Amino acid sequence: MKNFLEKLLKIDRRLIFLALAILLVFPIVKPLGLPNLNLGSEVKSLYERIEGLPPRSFVLMSLDYDPATRPELHPQAVAILRHAFRKNLRVGILTLNAGATGLIEEIGERIPKDIAPEKVYGKDYVILPYQPNPVAVMTQMGMDLYQIYDKDRDGSPIRDMEVFKGIKNVKDMQLGICITGTAMLDYWIAYTGDKFKFPMAGGVTAVSQMGYAPYLQTGQLKGLVGGMKGAADYETLINHKEKGTSGIDALSLAHLMVIILIVTANIMMLWLKYL
Amino acid sequence: MSETMLIFGGWVAAGLTIFLFSFLYKDNPFFKVTEHLYLGAGMGWVFQTVLFQTWKPKVWEPLQAGDWTVLIPTVLGLSLVTQFFPRISWISRYGFTFIMGYGSGLVIPLTISTDLLKQIGGTIAPFMVSEISRANIGSLINGSIVAIGFICVLFYFFFSVEHKGVVKKASNIGIYFLMLYFGAAFGNTVMGRFSLLYGRFDDLYKYSAPKYFYATHVILAALVIYFVVDHFRKKKPEIEEEAA
Repeated sequence: MKNFLEKLLKIDRRLIFLALAILLVFPIVKPLGLPNLNLGSEVKSLYERIEGLPPRSFVLMSLDYDPATRPELHPQAVAILRHAFRKNLRVGILTLNAGATGLIEEIGERIPKDIAPEKVYGKDYVILPYQPNPVAVMTQMGMDLYQIYDKDRDGSPIRDMEVFKGIKNVKDMQLGICITGTAMLDYWIAYTGDKFKFPMAGGVTAVSQMGYAPYLQTGQLKGLVGGMKGAADYETLINHKEKGTSGIDALSLAHLMVIILIVTANIMMLWLKYL
Repeated sequence: MSETMLIFGGWVAAGLTIFLFSFLYKDNPFFKVTEHLYLGAGMGWVFQTVLFQTWKPKVWEPLQAGDWTVLIPTVLGLSLVTQFFPRISWISRYGFTFIMGYGSGLVIPLTISTDLLKQIGGTIAPFMVSEISRANIGSLINGSIVAIGFICVLFYFFFSVEHKGVVKKASNIGIYFLMLYFGAAFGNTVMGRFSLLYGRFDDLYKYSAPKYFYATHVILAALVIYFVVDHFRKKKPEIEEEAA
């Protein structure tokens, strides 16, 4: 028995990789439909905040994620956008991350196709071009956004667009949402949220989610969507299940495997040490 | 995007993903090529984005319109490039001086306000008379836990007093709070990494469709054949050496 356990503890780790790969691929090929019953309170806060906004309110979305964090953050962006359009809000999309421009192009193509085909570019939403130096952009957005953005991503002047009617800076907007895998949300909180009393919410990766808890406690963040689980929660709340929800099956199976491996390995270690 | 480009893109994406994952089996030339390609493509993408979305509209177009004021920030920015030429690298100090002054003036007051004062305020807020009079027991308990954790963790990182007696007990409690944080953070990290892996597998599944001419299957099979051939090719000289 002892020899067997020792051999098992020295198992080729590539077999564990293979098992994990099979567990993650299986629900993609054959979805299990495991329920997502525990919705995060901070996700609900963001949902309720958007739900409570009057029609034609302006929501600023800073999509600052690149392909490396796409699986976690893209479903969040799509779900929040879908909700905002459903509530007939005006949406301004921008990015301060050069790696995000391609993903924003994808969102720009999806809005008229399947996210909100009835919405009109320039009237209901606008996509602004990438800008470097995030801090300069954020502080300028608090004073006069046209000083930093005079054209949209296609080069059309934005000042006369219907979507910007009555908007001069973030004080005229009702909510800001930064979705990022970087520290960009920290900047938005400090340089726009706190400085100009602009209500901010965020969407972040699961890795950095814990670090934003203090901002939620103080009310500096009005809501937070964390990782693929957060995206799944939001999709459940808006009753439109997509990539976030389908990932829950795979995550649940993978977590189960990790728990089983940790418990088994500990029992084996204790067995070898004391028996 | 045309259908041909879409299929080509699918093959490239599936191929690069599989080549990167192949490192989990063992190091190989496909992984090396993809690794370098990743860095090169990333830098290329950022370069063209900055060139066409920043330099052109913010520098080139204003200059063409006769706005010469943009030359001031442009020259300051270009001064940083002189770092590469030791004889004139002193010029870069002007650019750095501007960045340091501007950055410090902006960051210091806001960081103190956002990350220090507001956080201290948030820790005290549940114990204010107005909050207590509302008799919100849940908020009071949460606030107490946060305050105890906050003070104990601060004690753990306070090194000017010897850790013994009450201070030692407080810092020990601080360690438990830190362990709870690290545990939760690590759990979230595992979930995050699995999400990213799931995302790649989801894309690989998409590219395995007939629409993409079974890109995932073909590339995966080709890589397996490579590893098998490589295994026997390396084994052959070893057998010959043993025979000699």
